Amino acid sequence: GTGDGRGAAKASSDLIAYKNVNDVPPSRELMIQIDQKNEAILLPIYGSMVPFHVATVKSVTSQQDSNKTCYIRIIFNVPGGSFSSHDANALKFQGAIYLKEVSFRSKDPRHISEVVQMIKNLRRQVTTRESERAERAT
Amino acid sequence: MTDGHLFNNILLGGRGGTNPGQLKVHSGGIAWKKQGGGKVVEVDKVDIVGVTWMKVPRTYQLGIRIKDGLFYKFTGFRDQDVSSLTTFIQNNIGVTPEEKQLSVSGRNWGEIGLNGNMLAFLVGAKQAFEVSLADVSQTQMQGKNDVVLEFHVDDTTGANEKDSLVEMSFHIPNSNTQYVGDEA
Repeated sequence: GTGDGRGAAKASSDLIAYKNVNDVPPSRELMIQIDQKNEAILLPIYGSMVPFHVATVKSVTSQQDSNKTCYIRIIFNVPGGSFSSHDANALKFQGAIYLKEVSFRSKDPRHISEVVQMIKNLRRQVTTRESERAERAT
Repeated sequence: MTDGHLFNNILLGGRGGTNPGQLKVHSGGIAWKKQGGGKVVEVDKVDIVGVTWMKVPRTYQLGIRIKDGLFYKFTGFRDQDVSSLTTFIQNNIGVTPEEKQLSVSGRNWGEIGLNGNMLAFLVGAKQAFEVSLADVSQTQMQGKNDVVLEFHVDDTTGANEKDSLVEMSFHIPNSNTQYVGDEA
């Protein structure tokens, strides 16, 4: 059950990456992956690929140090931000704890810059679609 | 094999990713050997305090929790392995495996569950992920509501993942009553 979604536009909090465990795509390698179709970001955490819907992402940045090691930081939406939908979310899920940020070190700067670009594009796409949907519903 | 069950190509999961190996579940406990030698995990049955099964994408994961708080995750079991191993573990190790569920909804809000050294992030009572606090090198508060966990950078255990988790933070709103902040 992910809310009844009666009539009104879906809040971004109602977006679901996968319904079933077997819907998660197989991964050949433990690395950050983007699933465009399901609007999900898959993160390697302790040997498992952990999905997050792109609507939970607030921002993504990367940086490279002098040793050619690359870092990527993903910041997620948490209540108290500037988005009103997330304050609605905070009311709906009062008492919840939020994953706010994750940082990864990578051996592959090209892969990281691709990931950053893909997350940004996907996020923009979903945000645009959801705000259009919200407008139509009012 | 008269005593126990032998499985090839079972992944041991942890901080640096996963490693394939051979797992033996026998009447005295469990033993895992990394393919091609190297790492060995041996657990005596008297040290096993909990066993869990979790359905993960395309396979099953066996979790073995031991006395000192450590938790081993073995992945790569088929449906039929789950039923035969469950019976074997109940009869020979004396622990009843429990079923855990994996959350794949993609949400970033839920609850924190602590069990031994493991910190689990739960979404709608299902587990989204877990990390071992034994690998945390530093924790700090950021402001009044955020907790930051920094992880050891470990290059020694044959890490095979391309991207490695180095930091994670949780936001605990004031409305949360599970962890009431230190007023001091």
